Amino acid sequence: MTSIYLNNAASSWPKAPGVAEAVRRAVKAMPAEPGRGSGHDTDPRDECRSLLAGLMGVPWPGQIVLTSGATLALNIAILGCVQTGVRSVVATATEHNSVLRPLRHLERQGAIRLSVVGLTGDGQVDLEQFAKALAGGADLVVVNHASNVTGRVNDAATLFRLARGAGALTLLDASQTLGVLPVRPLEIGAQMVAFTGHKGLCGPEGTGGLYVSPEMDLPPVLSGGTGVRSDLPLQPDEMPMRLEAGTPNSPGLAGLAAALRWAASDGRLEGQRRRDLGSLLRRSLSQIRGVHVFDAGCPEDAGTGVVSFTIAGWPPDEAALVLEECFGIRCRAGLHCAPEIHRWIGSAPHGTIRFSVSGANTESDVEAAVSAVRAMAAARAEQGEAAA
Amino acid sequence: MKLLRAVRVEDCFDGSSVYRYFFDSVWSREEIRRLGELGRLDYYPDFPRPFFRVVGPGGAQLRGVEGERSCQVVLPRQDRQEVIERLERHFS
Repeated sequence: MTSIYLNNAASSWPKAPGVAEAVRRAVKAMPAEPGRGSGHDTDPRDECRSLLAGLMGVPWPGQIVLTSGATLALNIAILGCVQTGVRSVVATATEHNSVLRPLRHLERQGAIRLSVVGLTGDGQVDLEQFAKALAGGADLVVVNHASNVTGRVNDAATLFRLARGAGALTLLDASQTLGVLPVRPLEIGAQMVAFTGHKGLCGPEGTGGLYVSPEMDLPPVLSGGTGVRSDLPLQPDEMPMRLEAGTPNSPGLAGLAAALRWAASDGRLEGQRRRDLGSLLRRSLSQIRGVHVFDAGCPEDAGTGVVSFTIAGWPPDEAALVLEECFGIRCRAGLHCAPEIHRWIGSAPHGTIRFSVSGANTESDVEAAVSAVRAMAAARAEQGEAAA
Repeated sequence: MKLLRAVRVEDCFDGSSVYRYFFDSVWSREEIRRLGELGRLDYYPDFPRPFFRVVGPGGAQLRGVEGERSCQVVLPRQDRQEVIERLERHFS
């Protein structure tokens, strides 16, 4: 039985062309100790920063901090903001635990006051509630660009316009969007953008980063070696070194550079491919009796390729087990590390089954997945009828 | 069919726990049918790889695939030891 991979919202597979070779080359090459004066041309960080700046339409590659992923990037942003005096934070119910958990931790410590804004019936961030939260005082607003549960893209530009009007700093979690949809911090008013390398960019795990606007003065959360300016008793002040401590993941970043080169060429179609396949999935699954698609008012895919659904009579975790072990469809079930949104879309406490496509998937992959779901729904319905 | 070992996989929010049970032979159709002694058996023979689920003593669930040497077992929070002993007797 062949396997079909539909778990790209967790991590993309296959990786972009050239990624595996770049990682392999970097691992095999003599380490150059990036930034530490070896003179060898094997430091991929400059190329990553330059390509990422181009992708995000910002003219400051030095403002892109490279991290192990979006989780570290978000923690650097949130904890750094708290160090500068942020005491009140507004986030949305669509956030991932990589945002919610650091914020809840700070709230429990008494370091911040947190407001999590809910959703309207059609899956939008509730603007009335959002405005109320801002009026209550907000120093920082965190917005998930797209939900990893429903695939819905939040109107970050509007939310950030309101946030900045209220004097708040703005942080965008672009984990699900960079590489598949335009992420333009200057256009949407995001002062910080956290992203990962292994999802939409189709790069290796262990890579990601944080764009920080030059107007911000974000202090370091981590301190350590930088390879240069070792005479300084504290972390150097200049960016991006200020927010990067320790030996970088050079093989991973070499892979990310390869993924970014691909994204700058063929990868430009990634979002359109996801949109087409995601829309096909939504339409096809919606037609199956006993299947409920959590489309949150969006019958067409927003370009993320993420579709959440349930099958009557099949608990999501069991459905995912059957899809993988009986039909060879690799997907994910449960809360997807985003517990809040399930209370708003009606899928708590068990969550959903999630299919998430990439541009490497095909229509026949989608047809096979839909056919498997159809068989499961029909089998359960037959059993129910037999029992009755 | 004898139980060789049980590995705890994860704990669930409702207090139940998921284990993977490993056996000395594969799940045959006969062994799956014999699960009916434990409780209500649902069997899906028409899937590309047939699936089974039994809701057994104390609400414990066994689910797996015909031809595999292991299956997933969800053990309830209540009366867990009694349930484990009942399963061990079945697979001894």
